[in-house]
Amino acid sequence: MFQIFKDFFDFQFITNAFLAALLVAVAAGLVGSYIVARRLVFLSGGITHASFGGIGIAYYLGLNPILGAAVFAVLTAFGVEALSQKFTVREDSAIGILWSVGMAIGVFFVFLTPGYAPNLMSFLFGSILTVSTQDIVLLLILDAAMIAFFILFYRPILYLAFDPVFARTQKVPEKLFTYILKAFVAITIVLSIRLVGIILLISLLTIPPTIANLFTKRFDRIIYISIIVGFVGAILGLVVSYGLNVPSGVTIILALTIIFLISRITRYVMVKIKTQYA
Amino acid sequence: MGKILEISNASVGYDDDIILRDINFSLSDLDFVGVIGPNGGGKTTLLRLLLGEIKPVKGSVKYFPMAPNETMFGYLPQVSSIDHKFPISVLEVVLSGLLGRKRIGGRYTKHDKKLALEMLERMSIADLRGKAIGELSGGQMQRVFLSRALVSHPRLLILDEPNTFVDNKFEKELYQLLKELNKEMAILMVSHDLGTITTHVKTIACVNRNLHYHPSNVISTEQLAAYDCPIQLITHGTVPHTVLPKHSK
Repeated sequence: MFQIFKDFFDFQFITNAFLAALLVAVAAGLVGSYIVARRLVFLSGGITHASFGGIGIAYYLGLNPILGAAVFAVLTAFGVEALSQKFTVREDSAIGILWSVGMAIGVFFVFLTPGYAPNLMSFLFGSILTVSTQDIVLLLILDAAMIAFFILFYRPILYLAFDPVFARTQKVPEKLFTYILKAFVAITIVLSIRLVGIILLISLLTIPPTIANLFTKRFDRIIYISIIVGFVGAILGLVVSYGLNVPSGVTIILALTIIFLISRITRYVMVKIKTQYA
Repeated sequence: MGKILEISNASVGYDDDIILRDINFSLSDLDFVGVIGPNGGGKTTLLRLLLGEIKPVKGSVKYFPMAPNETMFGYLPQVSSIDHKFPISVLEVVLSGLLGRKRIGGRYTKHDKKLALEMLERMSIADLRGKAIGELSGGQMQRVFLSRALVSHPRLLILDEPNTFVDNKFEKELYQLLKELNKEMAILMVSHDLGTITTHVKTIACVNRNLHYHPSNVISTEQLAAYDCPIQLITHGTVPHTVLPKHSK
């Protein structure tokens, strides 16, 4: 076991993966807590899957796939609103449409691309081998921007998520804030794709806040606990992924699920003990 | 003392679907208006228009602030519109009522927290301050949202069906409280409950696509018919009331 850990850090890509896990845990903790509290999970799932369209087109044109994913993710985040408001499509239907249209476009262009697309699996299920120094830098910028935004505007973010109508009566610029937060959701999703992949990403965003919500009902504490849980899950997942040569997205999500089960049981026992001695 | 706001010839909705047509309505300090009307008649739309949530497609809404920094509105939404599982504490909810006074991104001061706690004490729910919103009963939740609406001492308190999901005891206390508050601020209350409205409000506004203002709290079957205001009646116990027949259009 110790040997695995020692080998682990001997490689540059492992150090990158470790750094990425930490940085993704921070971004996913912030964004995840927000989307779970505001019930935007389905929208986030749509953004994640639709971004595959951008990856496919970027492959075909020989561009950076993450750039393509970013364009599609942001377009989807705002496209859902445009579809539901301008064209009176029901919002969940609009999400469902963009979700699969994005995937279809992605697969279409991957198949049109001459030659073999070797990284396709890693985009779907994540791979620690593909985390580059450029990804690390982008994640650092995203984390810094999001931490600053959440610290400066914690109250408006919280109150807007809780009761938008009342927040507007309190002069919170709802439109601007919602746009900024949607952009953060979209970019976090895109930069997490390397680590966990498109198919499994939504659990990375939703499991940590769900675990945190077992132990606290305060939004700020949910964020802190989510970041820690996300980081622990990602590291455990990476070690197993390296040891067993299984895609990292798979092992990270399974690790988070095990943490959730342990937490649920712990919570159950805690409540039992409390009621017995109360 | 003076006018708070004035709506002139305002229509609200979309071109092919006008929800409120050509309404005229004004509110002054210490008014207590009960808003009645059928479901889908535009009561909530009227509130959104007053709050500046929606703009009229025709006509205007004018506000008459007295001081540059005053809080114009305290707003109590329908409880059913609130996400009961949201991770937020009672004290945090009440503090959100002071957000409009701050610069965007401003911090809460000790004084703000004191105001919020005093409000909770006035509602006799100070012991709940650390609880999550989802752990409260219907009556407790209404008290919390009323605290949020009142903590900034607004000039106009807007209540959207405050008597749903609450027990009789709270309802009695609520009307007693509103009577006291009405000495300091104007109140506009939407309710399905005609019996309650007529015993507590000073004047009545009937909203059904149009708005008919009735400058008294006594309203007859004939007048309701003239206002085209078929309302759903819910009555409780011994409140004196008349059950009115549904009238044809």
